[in-house]
Amino acid sequence: MNEIQFLTWVRSTGLNIALGLFVLGMLWRLIEIYSLGRKQDMAPARSAAGASGWHTIFRRSLPPQGMMKSSPISYIGGYIFHVGLFVVVFFLAQHIKLVDSLLGISWPNLPAQVIDTVAVVTLAAMVLILADRINKPVKRFLSTFGDYLAWLLTFLPVLTGYLAVKHMVLPYTTMLALHILSVELLLVALPFTKLIHVFTLIGSRWYNGDISGKRGVPV
Amino acid sequence: MSSISQIPVQVLTANDGLTGQAEAVLTEIAEMLSRFLETGKGDSIDLRSLPLSPADKIWLDEQLGRGEVEIGIDAGGRSVVTETAYAGVWKIEHRDTEERIVAELIEVTAMPEIVQPHKTDIEKSYNTLQSSLKQIS
Amino acid sequence: MDKGETLLEHMERQGMSRRTFLKYCASLASLMALPPSAAAAMAEALGKARRPSVIWLPFQECTGCTESITRSHSPSVEGLIFDMISLDYQETLMAAAGFQAEEALQNAMKENYGKYVLIIDGSVSTGMDGAYSCIGGRSNLDSLQEAAKGAAAIIALGTCASFGGIPKANPNPTGAVPVSDIIKDKPIINISGCPPIPVVITGVIAHYLTFGTVPELDKHGRPKAFYGETIHDRCYRRPFYDQGKFAKTFDDEGARNGWCLFELGCKGPITYNACATSKWNDGTSFPIQSGHGCIGCSEPDFWDAGGFYKALSTPANPLKYVAAAAVAGAAAGVAVSFANRARKQKAKSEHETATTSDLEK
Repeated sequence: MNEIQFLTWVRSTGLNIALGLFVLGMLWRLIEIYSLGRKQDMAPARSAAGASGWHTIFRRSLPPQGMMKSSPISYIGGYIFHVGLFVVVFFLAQHIKLVDSLLGISWPNLPAQVIDTVAVVTLAAMVLILADRINKPVKRFLSTFGDYLAWLLTFLPVLTGYLAVKHMVLPYTTMLALHILSVELLLVALPFTKLIHVFTLIGSRWYNGDISGKRGVPV
Repeated sequence: MSSISQIPVQVLTANDGLTGQAEAVLTEIAEMLSRFLETGKGDSIDLRSLPLSPADKIWLDEQLGRGEVEIGIDAGGRSVVTETAYAGVWKIEHRDTEERIVAELIEVTAMPEIVQPHKTDIEKSYNTLQSSLKQIS
Repeated sequence: MDKGETLLEHMERQGMSRRTFLKYCASLASLMALPPSAAAAMAEALGKARRPSVIWLPFQECTGCTESITRSHSPSVEGLIFDMISLDYQETLMAAAGFQAEEALQNAMKENYGKYVLIIDGSVSTGMDGAYSCIGGRSNLDSLQEAAKGAAAIIALGTCASFGGIPKANPNPTGAVPVSDIIKDKPIINISGCPPIPVVITGVIAHYLTFGTVPELDKHGRPKAFYGETIHDRCYRRPFYDQGKFAKTFDDEGARNGWCLFELGCKGPITYNACATSKWNDGTSFPIQSGHGCIGCSEPDFWDAGGFYKALSTPANPLKYVAAAAVAGAAAGVAVSFANRARKQKAKSEHETATTSDLEK
């Protein structure tokens, strides 16, 4: 298989399989999660200021008292790489074109230089976060294989994408194919790893906030 | 009439299509001039190997301007060697017998190589001239 | 031109001046992507070069390659180079036909055994023992194997000879293969493109004459001097790509402003060729300059690499499994949900106690 065939494979068969597994896995997991159900709550709801699902969605994005000081890399680095990922994934012209070709919707893109810079910052933040995870005994103790896998599956698409655009390390054709392949691996793994938080984060925060809110406890 | 007026006509301004590459060429020429002043060694740029847009080329020509010297060479097609407004910076355009441009160069030197006759050619012409003088006398 | 004569002697005899030769070398250096300062060294080496015999065999091809090459008119650089070679067999161009032509081929091979340059255009059919493409009752496969034996080097001209090209496109009914699949013991230079750029073939011949060697090749056997960079690398629209300015249709504002054609399916970023610098039609322009994206014709299997108008970042083919996957996923989700509920119900009715290990689930 030469590199053009490799690229064509990831753009056709590979993409087909990956998107198929992704859609299959996502629907499976989401239906499973949202149909879990809880016992009916017979108690009357209490009210307390700030205790509701909506509050929780936002509050959980802010560091609790003292945590910023004890774990600055997790918070600052975490913010940077999440925002960075959002910008790189949704505002590179080539990505918008992909969404356009799949769903028929598009929006303006950002200049490539901006995306380049954001990608570098994102990569740096991710490396820092990994180093911090390995470095801090408690974090290391809590980390599982799944955590490292999730990190790698997120890191690789950004890295290969950047190298492809910058024509570094490998010829563009091969690098682009590797980039698409890495995204396909991410897509396949997403429903079955903690990466599913992309879709469950807001729902689960709302749910936790909502049941606590009914008991009058802001969380 | 109405359908003709519907055709959108757009007049391009001089700056449309500029990529910023021509500016880099200008910087490179300045570099080459400073090297020439220091070492006396000339250098050249192959303009056709650079990704310049048509607008870039016009812009570069405008920036370089024209100097006092223009040399025409008739050798397997026309070639024009022009001094730019900057002394020591030459623009060379080679054409073949069918007037197609085959090379476009910027040369930084006192006098482009192609203009200067080769020593063996001068020796040859000396011999030829000698023999014609002999025939005359 | 006498076969023992060097190029410089030949030129002097024809009354060509040194300046003319220097000029040719300047343009040769330019098209071979050598620095302008290399022109003098080339003039020196080319001046001493001798004339090689060239045999040109056409196989499964459309004659587009020959058309392209013969568009280089004498006495241009290309013409000069063609004057320098002895083209001993070329079916489309030669006056002889039938048995005389075959005889010319046999004679050329015999006389220059071990020294001639063999040019092949078109792919080699291997299906049904090569019966799909025969010349004078002999299969291309057979002719190639015979002619290759005495060749000093082989030039595979065009994408078909280099990579199989359109004949090899899916489902490849004739079993077409590139020259390099058949001949393993000779240096092969692939000059891909559909058709290849005229100056590239003359450039390769010039290199062969200047340095007496096969030029440095990339991993697809193509000379790096011409195929070392992508169309995208040398494209004058590249700055617009870098700025994220793309034409969305062939006639929008962006297209009129000359913005990048990536989204319209341009394959420039994955295509290695010299179009952006050598250009076409006597240096007039190249596809991207005319407002159309590159189709990637100098790459292996470009024909089967998705649509010409599909951006590289989009699917090459329509998605097939997504609808089925959605149904399967929904079904799996519902089934698992029922199973979970049943288990919960069972645990409840049997008064199972929860342990800390349950929390890990």
